[in-house]
Amino acid sequence: MAEAIGPDRRPEPLDRGHAIAAIRERHPESPAPDPPATSGAPDPDDRTQTLRRRSRWLVALPLVGMVLVVATLLALDPIRSLTDTEPVESLALERAVLGDNRVNLHVRNDGYVDLTIAQVMVNDAYWEHTVGQRDLGRFDGTTVSFDYPWEPEIPLHIAVLVDSGEVIEYEIDNPSLTPDLDRPTIGTLGLVGLLMAPIPIALGLAWLPALRRGPGTWFDAAMAFTLGLLAFLVIESAVEGLESALEAPRVLDGIGLFFAGALVTIAVLRASGTVGQSRRAADATWQRPSADGRARPDAAARDGQRTVERSGIRLAWLVAIGIGLHNLGEGLAVGAAINTAEVALGTALVIGFAAHNLTEGVAIAGPLGGSPTRTRAILLIALVAVAGLPVLPGLWLGGFILPAGWAALAFGVAAGALIEVIWAVTTWLRSRGVTITPLTAGGFAAAVVVLYLTGIVTA
Amino acid sequence: VKRRAFLATSLGTAGVIGGLGGTAAVATRWDTEAEPRTRAGDAGDERAHGAEHNAHDSGHGGMGTVGAVDHQRNGFHPLEVLTDFDTGEASRDRSGRTVREYEVVTRPKDIEVAPGVTYPAWTYNSRVPGPTIRASEGDRIRIHLVNASEHPHTMHFHGIHPAAMDGVPGAGEVQPGETFVYDFLAEPFGTHLYHCHSFPLREHIARGLYGAFIVDPPEPRPEAHEMVMVMNGFDTDFDGDNEIYAANTVAFAYADDPIAIRRGDLQRLHLINVTEFDPLNSIHLHGNFFRLYRTGTSMDPDELTDTISMGQAERHMIEFTYRVPGRFMFHAHQTEFTELGWMGAFEVA
Repeated sequence: MAEAIGPDRRPEPLDRGHAIAAIRERHPESPAPDPPATSGAPDPDDRTQTLRRRSRWLVALPLVGMVLVVATLLALDPIRSLTDTEPVESLALERAVLGDNRVNLHVRNDGYVDLTIAQVMVNDAYWEHTVGQRDLGRFDGTTVSFDYPWEPEIPLHIAVLVDSGEVIEYEIDNPSLTPDLDRPTIGTLGLVGLLMAPIPIALGLAWLPALRRGPGTWFDAAMAFTLGLLAFLVIESAVEGLESALEAPRVLDGIGLFFAGALVTIAVLRASGTVGQSRRAADATWQRPSADGRARPDAAARDGQRTVERSGIRLAWLVAIGIGLHNLGEGLAVGAAINTAEVALGTALVIGFAAHNLTEGVAIAGPLGGSPTRTRAILLIALVAVAGLPVLPGLWLGGFILPAGWAALAFGVAAGALIEVIWAVTTWLRSRGVTITPLTAGGFAAAVVVLYLTGIVTA
Repeated sequence: VKRRAFLATSLGTAGVIGGLGGTAAVATRWDTEAEPRTRAGDAGDERAHGAEHNAHDSGHGGMGTVGAVDHQRNGFHPLEVLTDFDTGEASRDRSGRTVREYEVVTRPKDIEVAPGVTYPAWTYNSRVPGPTIRASEGDRIRIHLVNASEHPHTMHFHGIHPAAMDGVPGAGEVQPGETFVYDFLAEPFGTHLYHCHSFPLREHIARGLYGAFIVDPPEPRPEAHEMVMVMNGFDTDFDGDNEIYAANTVAFAYADDPIAIRRGDLQRLHLINVTEFDPLNSIHLHGNFFRLYRTGTSMDPDELTDTISMGQAERHMIEFTYRVPGRFMFHAHQTEFTELGWMGAFEVA
C-alpha cells in the first residue's frame, strides 16, 4: 500500500468509495484484470475484494514492522555496548514438601538468565542433596531433595548457591509435615473450607427474618453495612492479591496478573450489562413516584413491590458473586501458604476466617431485606453456595496443584467484581433515596470495624 | 568438565582410588579430573568398594557439598598448595648474603571454590592463596611484582622492612601493566603473611590477594613434614558475608582428599588467618594436642592445646605428632565455618 501514497499526494481517507476512486485515478493505464465474460465494465465487487485484501495487509503491517524491530534488536544487540553485565539469577520456590526427615523443594527459574544449581545450604551448612536437573533455562523447574532432621515450628533456612556464586534464600518459618494429596486430606481441607466460609455465611444470612421484621431504618443500615463490607473486601482483595503477586514466580508477573484480572472483570461485567440491569430495575421502581408526585395505585404498588424484590435478589446475587470470587482468592492464598509451608493452618486461623465471613452473610441479607416477601429457601442456599463454596476449590487447587501466585489473579477478579458490585449497590441506594445519615454511616463503619477486628486474627 | 560429568563418571570409577594413600596419591589425584569424592568420615574400606557419594554414606549426616571441584581448571590443588614452598631463585652477593629473586604476577582468575561455584578472584600467580614465599632470616628478598590486572595492586609484607618497601599506595603500589621490585631483608623469623594493600583494602584482600611468608630461623628447626594452611573465605554473592570458608581456598578440599601423614612423624603446620568479614577464625585438631608457637617467632612453644582462635592476619606455627593410625578431623571451631567448608582430615598411616 505504501507505494500508492507518493510524496506528492496527500493520503486519502480509506473510505471505500473514495479509495476505489483513488485507485482508479492512480492507475489509469494499469491493465485491468480480465473482464468478466458477461460484461465489459470492471466489476466493482472485484475492486472491493482487492481493497479487502489490501486492508488485511494494513492490519498486518504494524505487526510485520514489529517483527523487524525485534529481529534488529536481537541481531545487533545494541544494548550490549551499554552494559555487559548479566541480570541476577532468580529461582522461585513453588512448593515445599516436608516429609519425615525429608525436604523436597519444587523450584523454578523465574529470572531472565539461565542458571545452574551448584550447592544447597541448610541452616548455614552445606548439605548433600539431589537435584532433578541442575541446569535450568528460563521457566524450567526442578526438584531439590535432601534428608534433614527438621523439627516442627523451628524455622528452616534454605539457600541455593548457583554457579555464579549468587545465593537464593528460602525461609520456612513454621515447618510442618506436608499433608499428602489423599482422600482424607481432601476431606479435611473440605471440612475446613466449609467451616471457613459457607457455614458462617449461612449463619449471617439467618439474620434476614429479623431484618425484615425490624423497622425500615434497619434495612438502610444493613445496606450500608453491605457497602462497608464490599469496600473493605475490595481493599483486602487488593492487598492480599498484591501480596500473592509478590509471591508469584516472576515469569507470571503477579502484579500484572492482578490488575489484568481486575480490569478485565470490570470490562466484562460492564459489557454484559449485569450490573446495569439491576440499576435500571431500581430506577424503574423507585423513581416512578417521584416522577409524577402522586400516590401510586395499588396495582402499581404491587407491581413495584415485585420489582423491588426482583432487584433486591439480583443485587444479592451480585454481592454473593463478588464475595464468592473473594473467597476463591482467599482459598488459593491459604492453600498456597500451606503449600510453601509458610503457615500452619491453625484452628485460630480458621476461627478468624469464620468470624470474618459471618459478616458476608449479613451483606447478602441486606438487599433481600428490602422486600417483606419471604425468600425461597432454595434461593438462599444457592446464594450461600455461590458466596462460600469457592473457598473449597481454592484450598484444594492452591494447596496441591497451582503454584503460589495464582491467588493474585483470583483476587484481581474479585477486586474488579467487587468494585462493580459497589457501583451497583450505590446506584441502587441512591435511586431509592437512601442518604448518608448517622445510621447508614454507622452501618458502613460497623462493617469496616468488624472486618478489621476479625481480620486481626488472620493477618 | 561439568559437574554432571563428574557425577556420571564417579559411579563408574569409584573403585579406582580406594587404594590411594600417602603422598604419592597427590599427583595421581591431581591428574585425574573425573574423580569420585568421598567424605573424610568414610571408612577406608567403604572407599575401596566405591561408596556412592550421597547423604547416607557420608559419615556427616548429610553435611557437605555435592560433586567435585575441577582442580585442573583451577590450576592448583589444595594438597599441592599445602606443601609448595617457593624459595625463589637463590644466589649470593659479594658479601656472601643469600639473595632470593621471585617473580609474582597479579591477574584476575575465576576459581571454583566449591563444586560448581565460581568466584571471580584476584590472584598472585593465578592461585589463591598466592605462592608461599620462603626464606631464611637475613636473606635478601627481591620480589618482582608484575601487575597484569586492571587495578593497582601491592604486596605488603608483614615483617621488618624500609618504609619505601611497605607495599602501600605511595610506596610500591603497582599500576596495571607496570612492575615494582620489593627489596628487603627477611626478618624476623616466623610465620608471616603478605597481602595487597591497595584500597579499598577489604575488597582487595577478600578477592584473594594474600599468601604465606615464612622466614626460617638461622638455626634450623628439627626435620618435620611442613604444611601451610591459609584460612580464608569467599563472599560469592558480594553481600559482605562469606558463603564459603576453607583452608587454602577450596571448601572441604581436605575432607574430600584427606592429608596423608605418617604416624610418628613430626608435623609442622603454618596457620595464617586472612578471613574477611568475620573477626575470628580458629582451628581445632581431633584426637591430639599441638604445641603452639605464636607467630612462629620463638624456638620454644608457648602453649599445649588443641584449639586456637586467631584474629585477622594473626598466624601461628603448630607442631604435633600422631601416634596411632586412623582418620582425624580438623576444622574451625566456629562450627558455622566448619559446615560452610572449613573442615578436613589427616589420614594417619
